[in-house]
Amino acid sequence: MFEQLKDLLVAKLKVTPESIVPEATREDIELDSLAVVELSMILQAELGVVISDDELLAAENVGEMARMMEERGAKI
Amino acid sequence: MDAHVVHRAAARAGTDVAVTGIGLVTPGGIGVAASWAAVRAGRSPAAADPLLAGGPVAFSCRVPGFDAGALLGERRALRLDRFTQFALVAAAEAVAGAGLDPLTWDGARVGVVLGCADGGPATVEGQHDRLRDHGPDQVSPLLLPMQLPNMMAGQTAIQFGARGPNLVVATACASGATAIGTARDLLALDRCDIVLAGGSEAMITPLVMAGFARMGALSRRADDPAAASRPFDADRDGFVAGEGAGVLVLERAADARARGARVHGRIIGHGASADAHHVTSPAPDGSGAEAAVRAALLDAGAGPGDVQHVNAHGTSTQLNDLAEAVMLHRVFGGGPLVTSTKGVTGHLLGAAGAVEAVLTVLAVQQGVVPPTANLETLDPRMEIKVADHETETRIDLAVSTSCGFGGQNAVLAIAAP
Repeated sequence: MFEQLKDLLVAKLKVTPESIVPEATREDIELDSLAVVELSMILQAELGVVISDDELLAAENVGEMARMMEERGAKI
Repeated sequence: MDAHVVHRAAARAGTDVAVTGIGLVTPGGIGVAASWAAVRAGRSPAAADPLLAGGPVAFSCRVPGFDAGALLGERRALRLDRFTQFALVAAAEAVAGAGLDPLTWDGARVGVVLGCADGGPATVEGQHDRLRDHGPDQVSPLLLPMQLPNMMAGQTAIQFGARGPNLVVATACASGATAIGTARDLLALDRCDIVLAGGSEAMITPLVMAGFARMGALSRRADDPAAASRPFDADRDGFVAGEGAGVLVLERAADARARGARVHGRIIGHGASADAHHVTSPAPDGSGAEAAVRAALLDAGAGPGDVQHVNAHGTSTQLNDLAEAVMLHRVFGGGPLVTSTKGVTGHLLGAAGAVEAVLTVLAVQQGVVPPTANLETLDPRMEIKVADHETETRIDLAVSTSCGFGGQNAVLAIAAP
């Protein structure tokens, strides 16, 4: 799931691939609050998984976001 | 000397404003060199526009090969409307050319004043489609940060660390000139030491073009788009929409001299007025624009006889060009050599006044009046000298005119360095 998240961050939000590691915080990958709202929309549109922007903002790092996606049953 | 004259003289002493940097993004090309070469060559790049296919007017003057991701970085470009992308690219060229380093300048003394007519309509239209087709939860959180007109000045501040006065002005197609005039006032009042001034526009969208077409403002010469923008020509039938940006670095001339900056030209006068006549038609005798021209000359301490060149608003519409020609003849007689660079660039709307200010600075600096593209037969009702070919001539003082829907006029007096 981490790889799917990484692919979307790179393709849709143009995040630098090298910066995306499980331990990276959203500050590390320069996702401001607006980009987190975009990510929430993208996850729903691309993978059919509903995670609110507030939930994504609460995630500690990229790895935790990927775990949330798994729990919500993201379609791969 | 009465108080009024003393006040005016004092104001003028502080308003000898130097242009120390210039940047352009135009349908002629990206950068000053490409744009100026295209304007001098006198060939319009107007062409069929696939994004307008099926609309009432399906040709335009686009900026060729504009790759915002390559110029600004993929991630940054993604979050900017095209009008802000143009502004940032033009500003970067102007700042670099001015020999200024945003890492070391006193950002609190650097202002940004830009003009546009419409902000980011392409973003609005795209997000409106999402609202209609997918509901409000699929509307981008970047809708407003991308489309609001003031964002290009805010983004310019972020890019360059310009923390002084920061605003976007809107006087429709006079916006770019209004911005430069406003910037000059900020320098005169010592609110800033440096101002990045200009305009940007990217409003060639299906909705906006349908609106312009319904007004009867656009050329319908679909069989020959490159000949469609023909200012002052007897066969003109409307304007061709263009896009792009022009940005100038302005400083008080004394400051520019003190730091040994290269000075391209000087903005020595600004005049503004309103027609108070009609929302789209200019006052037929050009009296509103005339007031702005005379105010700019007064501000410059010059008379009509001092002006050798006019970069006219010259949109290629029937009404504008005739009213402007009547006005120019009344003010200047047949003296100065008039050109409209819109024959090449098309009408850059809120960016036009800024782009044309840069082109006028270059004309003065190099002693070259660029041609009015597609001018074959001067409208016989016009008693002005319009350049139909490039002309080399000494220019000490030039005037650039801009007139906006809404009846707003802004005129700049531009002098040799």
